[in-house]
Amino acid sequence: MKRILIVDDSFYMRTMLKNMLTDAGYDVVGEAPNGQTALELTKELVPDLVTLDVILPDNTGLDVLKGIKAEQPDMKVVIVSAVGQEVIVNEAMENGALAYIVKPFSEEKVLEIVSQALKEE
Amino acid sequence: MKSREQEYKEIFIAEALEYFDALNRHISDLEKRPQDDQLLAEIFRLLHNLKANAKAIGYLRISDVSHKLETAFSLIRNRELQFSDEVVTVLFEGVDLLGELIHNIDNENYGEPDPVLLRNLDIIVDNLSDSTIELAKVRRYNTSKNLSLSELVYIQIKKLDHLLNLVGELVIDRDRIVSISRELENDELKVVSSHLNRITEDLQYSIMDARLVSIGSLFNKFPRIVRDIATAEKKEVDLTLAGHDIQIDRNILQIITDSLLHLVRNAITHGIEKPEQRIKKGKPATGKLSLVARNDRENVQIQLTDDGRGIDLSQVRKAIVDRNLLSNAAVEHLPDTEALSYLFEPGFSLAKEVTEFSGRGVGLDVVKNAVDSIGGRIRVDSKKGVGTTFTLQLPTSIAVKGALLFEVDEIFYAIPLIHTEQVVAMEVSELHEVGGVLVADVLGETITVVYLHELLNVKEQEINFGDKTKLKGLVQNIIIVSYNNRKLGLIVDKLYRQQDIVVKPLNKPLDTIDLYGGVTLLGSGSVCLVLDVPAITRYFISKRQTIAAE
Amino acid sequence: MPTKKDKGQATPALPADELTPATTNGKEEADKGKVNEPLLHLIVFKLGAEYYGIKIEQVKEVTVTPAITRMPRTPDFVKGVANIRGDIIAIMDLEERFRIRPEPAESENGVTYTLVIEAKEYSIGVVVREVPQSLNLTVSKLDKTPSFLQDIAVQENYIEGIAKVDNRLIIVLDMYKILSGDEIRQLSS
Repeated sequence: MKRILIVDDSFYMRTMLKNMLTDAGYDVVGEAPNGQTALELTKELVPDLVTLDVILPDNTGLDVLKGIKAEQPDMKVVIVSAVGQEVIVNEAMENGALAYIVKPFSEEKVLEIVSQALKEE
Repeated sequence: MKSREQEYKEIFIAEALEYFDALNRHISDLEKRPQDDQLLAEIFRLLHNLKANAKAIGYLRISDVSHKLETAFSLIRNRELQFSDEVVTVLFEGVDLLGELIHNIDNENYGEPDPVLLRNLDIIVDNLSDSTIELAKVRRYNTSKNLSLSELVYIQIKKLDHLLNLVGELVIDRDRIVSISRELENDELKVVSSHLNRITEDLQYSIMDARLVSIGSLFNKFPRIVRDIATAEKKEVDLTLAGHDIQIDRNILQIITDSLLHLVRNAITHGIEKPEQRIKKGKPATGKLSLVARNDRENVQIQLTDDGRGIDLSQVRKAIVDRNLLSNAAVEHLPDTEALSYLFEPGFSLAKEVTEFSGRGVGLDVVKNAVDSIGGRIRVDSKKGVGTTFTLQLPTSIAVKGALLFEVDEIFYAIPLIHTEQVVAMEVSELHEVGGVLVADVLGETITVVYLHELLNVKEQEINFGDKTKLKGLVQNIIIVSYNNRKLGLIVDKLYRQQDIVVKPLNKPLDTIDLYGGVTLLGSGSVCLVLDVPAITRYFISKRQTIAAE
Repeated sequence: MPTKKDKGQATPALPADELTPATTNGKEEADKGKVNEPLLHLIVFKLGAEYYGIKIEQVKEVTVTPAITRMPRTPDFVKGVANIRGDIIAIMDLEERFRIRPEPAESENGVTYTLVIEAKEYSIGVVVREVPQSLNLTVSKLDKTPSFLQDIAVQENYIEGIAKVDNRLIIVLDMYKILSGDEIRQLSS
């Protein structure tokens, strides 16, 4: 079973994502509401995939992404972002994010992107 | 009952109100420190989340207003818009509007937001720093601002337990008063007692409702547990979960947590084979485990299925004989489902034969006790080589359950509706004496029928289940109960109404008496015995076997 | 007649061998001059033709026997269950339990009394025909090892000893052992 860490500062968003992923048979091993926790949990849990919101209360998602990649270059990261953040998303993709999901997202879309990302080597 | 939608909505509102409070705080600070980038970033983040969440859940007005405010603040952040007094006023009003929209999510009568305010927001967002723009005065529709606290409170479960106990006591007294008022024929008392009846019921269901949680709160722990056990056992297991949204009393969930964990652990450790063994048997290397919850009438059913090696019935039968639970002859004729039910016998689990071959035994009596203690049912179905399914039938709420009241030999009894299939009235001529028991045709199905007086009150040596002449009266009231997929008709002396009862468990030393699941106090103050259907069925079967063996 | 036992009360030195109604515990008659030899405070009642005693610590209350609901298919010594102030309590018949030949029914106006016993793990009610009485005696009056006790089977070890008071023989019971494991199992069969 694939293990996923959810990074999002909104409890509502985390709950929705967690339900979608858990229902689909993924194991949501952790949830981080800010960048600091996200970095710590990624190191500690070594998930198969991280879903990363780009706007966080302490650092930007971009900083978190760079932090993760510096320690674990192979970590799979999928960006979750609302519309209007295209600049950041583009920069994230250049910095090693595998894919991005645009909020509001549909369940099918999330699962499609996540399963695709997990397949990639 | 709370659906997942309802839960999402509650979370959304609680979080949105938090954001709203924080926005108000930050925006006031910003007035004092308009250049504070950190504050601006925080306000931007809050609005951004509110926009995204509102859009996801479908509150488009909230997401629209958040979006406009978010844009305004991003302009301020980029120094493209001055944080002037005029702009501040509009932004404050915008935030207020957000608060109003959040508070009125459920208010169908809430009208449209003030168009002037929306236009002002548009002007700020679109016209950039054109100093000539006219910001129209907004009519303040809400001069006295309400202070509001979060709509959700956390509560300790023991406080809810206490409430439930109190309401249980109240229900008993309520029944008492209702029955007294019936006797007294006092109109005023009747009115008061019928009102008391209604509000007590309402209170009871409200408290029961407050205790309900989604089964998902337990299920979500299993992916990790299954993974860990499977890794330790060097097995490959694919877990499927379904029915997260099913609601159940928090304490019932608590009580069966260990049992479920136990069953899951058993299924992986003893049920599912190692990948190489599975391949040899022509099964996929990865074992399948599924945990499914569903609503079943008033109850909740939880089913755990594995596709492992299954239980070897011949070993179970052998163990039953070895443990002197039944004679060789009796075991031979024991239906498979009955034989499997012996797995729940205390001590049976220790039978070495069973653990070696099927490994199912360990502690199943403990699981059964837990399920019994909350008035549930547990059943196991298994096919050697194919897999095993455990089915737990659980009441949705602990304290109060629907039951059928009746009388046998001047003793009051109740049977929880979870075990009753139907009630039929039949003439004695429709009952037939077959093979030492009575049978009846109920809607095309042949059902064994037993006179409860015979089962409960005739000297054990003199029991005769097949003698119609012992029945009193022409028409017999029969309660059809079911246990382990087998139906049994119970003939009672007098049938009373269906009623919600508060079951009090029997204290030691009587708690070990299987036949009674507890007692309940009737409105008259008298004690009514709650019959345990599984135990009654087992008792009937064992008596019948004893008689047949003689 | 119902009385509550006064729990946790320090028992002062008392004149021994005093039979008093259970409503008072006789402590007023304390003789302060006596040496403080430990005392036993018993509730004494009659089963069959003999007197039995239970240590007062094990008796929660004495009450007029309430309505008892019979429980079919339980051992004969289980008379049923009763509602005592909202608690559902098992009512036992010790005459049946000890296979004592009951005296011809002679209880005044049919009223019987129930001793509510609080043992380690459970509460039970014990029905007696006559008003139970309270008795203080010095520990030395209790013969813990009468010769006949050494001969009988272990299962009878609910008898703590025999006390002789005013030519009366009182069989002192240990209620904690009154329901042996065997009988509890018998309940569930």
